[in-house]
Amino acid sequence: MQQRVKEVMGASVALDCDAELMLRVKDGDGASFGLLLGKYRASVTHFLYRMVQDQAISEELAQEVFLRVYRSRETYEPTAKFTTWLYRIATHLALNWLRDEKNERGQQRLDEISEDAPAREVVDRSPSVEQRLLHQVNVDAVRQAVAALPDKQRAAVLMHKYDEMEYSQIAMVLSCSESAVKSLLFRAYETLRLRLAHMA
Amino acid sequence: MDCPIKTQENTDWLLDYAAGRLRGESAPQLARHVEACNDCRGFVAAQQMVWNALDKWEPDPVSLDFDRRLYRSIEAAKPASALPRLLRRLVGPLQPLWRPVVPLAAACLLIVAGVMLQTPQAVMAPADGSAHMERIEPEQLERTLDDMQMLRELAVTPE
Repeated sequence: MQQRVKEVMGASVALDCDAELMLRVKDGDGASFGLLLGKYRASVTHFLYRMVQDQAISEELAQEVFLRVYRSRETYEPTAKFTTWLYRIATHLALNWLRDEKNERGQQRLDEISEDAPAREVVDRSPSVEQRLLHQVNVDAVRQAVAALPDKQRAAVLMHKYDEMEYSQIAMVLSCSESAVKSLLFRAYETLRLRLAHMA
Repeated sequence: MDCPIKTQENTDWLLDYAAGRLRGESAPQLARHVEACNDCRGFVAAQQMVWNALDKWEPDPVSLDFDRRLYRSIEAAKPASALPRLLRRLVGPLQPLWRPVVPLAAACLLIVAGVMLQTPQAVMAPADGSAHMERIEPEQLERTLDDMQMLRELAVTPE
């Protein structure tokens, strides 16, 4: 199995144990799919949540991501890191959903979420109501600042910040050059610095 | 080193430095530069503030029934696609053997169908039971033998 992965991925790409697991899934090993699901369920769902900012939709999209991974097992070839492939599927679904949502409802949904939706549960680190409220205000500010970024910038920031991906990997996920990713990130963080300056 | 802000080069180093991710030789170089450069120091401080603000945004945990729903979807998709796939796997390797036979078999079927249409009494069920069947049996046998002869001739006739 390892030899097979090495052959396909070539010397330039390090052996990816997730790709190895995926090749086992390809060979009919359902337990390996369970391992991959356990490993990436939360990170993929959280990435999608931060992209679409709706818990139910993020889970629906995450279900679709893993369903596509499973359905594609027979044609899977480890030509890149497994996470690159996984996040490419997730990003594709999220960007499509955002595009459709924009076409359908414009910015209405974001306004509803920020103004009318019930307050999200916040991890209660402080017994003080005031501190909880302040925390909620700050989280809302971050959420809105991220939501206001252009879709690709948002995806790049989320992968860079929360999934600690390298520029080269983000570039592969977004199908653009590494320098384009650096430029996207620089502009995105510049916008966030301005919008979140009041939190300093 | 050149100031990344002034030259707009290696600005990713500043982002990585602010995130504490910058490794290798460039890390101590940039650290020395940031200490001496007001612009870069301000940039790093603002970027660290953004970094800390983003840390506060924690999504809700994934639903407990996530896996159950996913496996249900996988199972739901299975019956529709599993059987054809299984058939393809079983029959696929034999394709080179049975493929050339298909046109010949189709031709034979057509001929047999034509013969049966020409002899309706053989196809129609007898009204008065087995005695009638016995009466027409020799004719039917004769025709069938003729048909088989014709088929043999067709089979040996070069195209």
